[in-house]
Amino acid sequence: MSKKWLYWFEELNSGHNDLVGKKCANLGEMTGLGMRIPPGFAISVEGYERFMAETGAGELIRQYVRDNVNELKNVRKQVEASRTIRQIIESQEMPPDMRDELYRYYEELKQRAGEDEIAVAVRSSGAVSMPGQMETYLNVRRKESVVRKVIEVWGSAFTTRAIAFRLEKGMPLDKAPIGVAVLKMVDAKSAGVVLTVLPTVGDTSKVVVEGNWGLGESVVSGEITPDQYIVDKESGCVECTVNKKTKMIVYKDSGTAMTDVPGDIQAKPCVDEKELKEIVRIAKEVESYFNCPQDMEWVLDCSGCCPENLYWVQARPAKYSKTKEKEAEYLAELMTRMFKS
Amino acid sequence: MKVYDVVPGLEFDAERDFAQSPAWFLDGTHSVPPWTPMFGWFWVNFCRHGMQYGAEKLSLPTVKGWDWRFHKGGGYLTLLLVKSEEEKQRREAEFRKAILPFIEDYDGLWGGFVKEMLGRYEKLKALDVEKASNIELLDNFEETINTCRRMWEIHMYMMYGTYTAYILFENMCRELAGIDDTSPIFHNLVSGFDNKVFQVDRRLWEFSKRAREEGLAETLVQSNASEIVGRLDESAAGRAFMKDFMSFMNEDGWRMQRMSEINLPSWVEDPTPALVNVKQFIQKGGNFNLDEERKKITEQRKEAEKTVLSKVPQEQRGWFERLMVLAQKSGIFSEEHDHYLDLYTHAMMRRSALGLGNRFVQKGALDGAEDIFFLMPDEVRRAGINPDQFDLRYLVERRKGEWNEWMKTPNPPALLKEGFDLDMAMGVLVQSMDPIALKVVVGSMPQVRPELKADLYGTCGSPGVAEGTARVILSEDELHLIEEGDILVAASTSPSWTPVFSMIKGVIVDRGASLSHAAIVGREYGIPVVMNVFEGTAKIKSGQRVKVDANLGAVFILDK
Repeated sequence: MSKKWLYWFEELNSGHNDLVGKKCANLGEMTGLGMRIPPGFAISVEGYERFMAETGAGELIRQYVRDNVNELKNVRKQVEASRTIRQIIESQEMPPDMRDELYRYYEELKQRAGEDEIAVAVRSSGAVSMPGQMETYLNVRRKESVVRKVIEVWGSAFTTRAIAFRLEKGMPLDKAPIGVAVLKMVDAKSAGVVLTVLPTVGDTSKVVVEGNWGLGESVVSGEITPDQYIVDKESGCVECTVNKKTKMIVYKDSGTAMTDVPGDIQAKPCVDEKELKEIVRIAKEVESYFNCPQDMEWVLDCSGCCPENLYWVQARPAKYSKTKEKEAEYLAELMTRMFKS
Repeated sequence: MKVYDVVPGLEFDAERDFAQSPAWFLDGTHSVPPWTPMFGWFWVNFCRHGMQYGAEKLSLPTVKGWDWRFHKGGGYLTLLLVKSEEEKQRREAEFRKAILPFIEDYDGLWGGFVKEMLGRYEKLKALDVEKASNIELLDNFEETINTCRRMWEIHMYMMYGTYTAYILFENMCRELAGIDDTSPIFHNLVSGFDNKVFQVDRRLWEFSKRAREEGLAETLVQSNASEIVGRLDESAAGRAFMKDFMSFMNEDGWRMQRMSEINLPSWVEDPTPALVNVKQFIQKGGNFNLDEERKKITEQRKEAEKTVLSKVPQEQRGWFERLMVLAQKSGIFSEEHDHYLDLYTHAMMRRSALGLGNRFVQKGALDGAEDIFFLMPDEVRRAGINPDQFDLRYLVERRKGEWNEWMKTPNPPALLKEGFDLDMAMGVLVQSMDPIALKVVVGSMPQVRPELKADLYGTCGSPGVAEGTARVILSEDELHLIEEGDILVAASTSPSWTPVFSMIKGVIVDRGASLSHAAIVGREYGIPVVMNVFEGTAKIKSGQRVKVDANLGAVFILDK
């Protein structure tokens, strides 16, 4: 009996970072908090290592590295190494017992979703911070494609930058602590981010929600100007900026594409009042649970209505500007206020 | 014809000055016992200048500094309030920018000023007052006046800025961590730092160890204060000891026996008070270890910092910690500024004035060199170059007569216009939101708690409980009366009192706030301090057993 390498999110929490990578551990933690996240499961680092061992890809990579150890200091060689190693990984088939187990989880996922045919997102979940984007595949349908995309996510741990980074730090080239998240795609009406702090000034008395029609990737990537709602945590007062949103990201038969937003909804807010309130309510709860401002990603499903159609796909500590000068100005402001009776 | 009248703006003139302000408060911390006229002139003119300079440079939104008057040897102050709402707003906008240097580079700011002042003192000291010409002496006196003026500018600019940060920290501790400035943990937060005054104490302690090693302990312990110097001179070891001790005095002994006055010798002139401190360290015994004591307090502080930070929400910790560091500097500043500013400048004033005083005596203008402290600077200027041409003794005779009278009856705590009472006056002080008034001069009012059945109620300056024999000390020249384990009772304390804190078990002061000397030093030595009891020196008699419970702000007289 080989070691367990597939986990439902409810089996995980933030302590499982090394086991399944940061994203999966985080989704597990969110599930535990009672947040609605799309149903899905995690592939552990163990799964990756077993694949590398059983297919022989690991040995091929080690051999390649041994043969080229001196030339690998050269950047051009690193580009070639990235291509070669990804080629080695992607040309492998999933060992049958692993494949069958993956199929079983995928089938159960369909049952959990209550649908015969589902689309999933296959996302990388690194256990350590590593520069260079690892791949994420959206709108993956059919079990064979899921298996293929999992292998491709594993391959994506070998970008040129990641190779250069590992060489520089003296880390072994053939190892990559990488997990994978497989989760049901939400049929997004609109999506976006919420931060429980104004990141530019570090004002923690406000929540800022940004969103666009379609999938959240358009907001995260910063390619469009989304709607923005700034909500006062205490009073609930909303300062709302609805922008003209001309582009959005939607599913195609397979994968996603940028497309035009229908003219009649371009200038309309992409969340209604009730949805906004719910997003803010949960964001504040999560913030107070972690006792730290949060940066979260939300999705509203086309079907169903609020709050059942609100899903969360990310929650992490917010990074926000608290530069020395900002702190100093803030202190100066606090001191000034003191003189007001 | 009268010899002189009230000098407007210097001496108190009820008719005019009550029209300006209905309430003038006695500065009990600095002007009890009464000042000599010359020292009063320096203080009234330049402390006033410095406070207005500091308030203006920082553009304090609610207050423009203080005005001062001299009345029967007492310094009386009143606040200059910002009157219109519009002006407050304008000043607020300026203040927001003006306070930034304190937040951004406190050490650089303070260090720069210290360097500037030390440079000025070096120049003043470069003149050999015995060999100098009269013109050079008078020049030196004028430069001393300028130095005093500059000292007060730095003093008040720094003090206003520093204490503003401290008050904000107190508020934020209360708001974010639920810790109030009467809580022991708050006091632990702001103690355990090294500063110049402690470094001097440490040197004194080291000299006490040396005296013991070299067999001089007996000589010191068995001599009265006035005999110590003479007895040490009798042995070779004693003379070697004194040689090193005097070179230490020349470095760090530029301080006055009484902080805010120039009519008592500095340590450089007469090292007796410093030697008494050495003697007191010897009496504490060989096991006493100043470093160990200080280390304990530092560890307590680090513990308190952790506790408080853990109560502050994580996203607020960045600025909070920065504010904490700034507030911690207030304690260091409070002690160090006395050393580098007040004490040193006053030592320079005494040195320069006595240089001229001696010439005046040689040429018959005065009977005694110290009589010069009964002259005003204009009178000194008049006779400075040709003292043989002037007889100033009639001025001294009259003022000295008055001064001796002032000593007999204490000055009232406030001069109030008819129909105006002390409560109303306190209201004005609080309304000013003046950081110095709140943190040093006035403090918070004690809470009277009848259920405690205490004899005196005060506020907590430093936490703890202690019981011992009361020792009422009214001025610095009585400090040698203090014995190991006493509870010190005083109107207030100043840096000259610091060394006795290692001997006593507790402190009761009539007036004080959380940044007063007694509170800061009490915290550093880890002994309880109860402040603002108002009538401690009046109600408690030396020799009585008293219990001090600073946590409750209560004093119990055990044998009434």
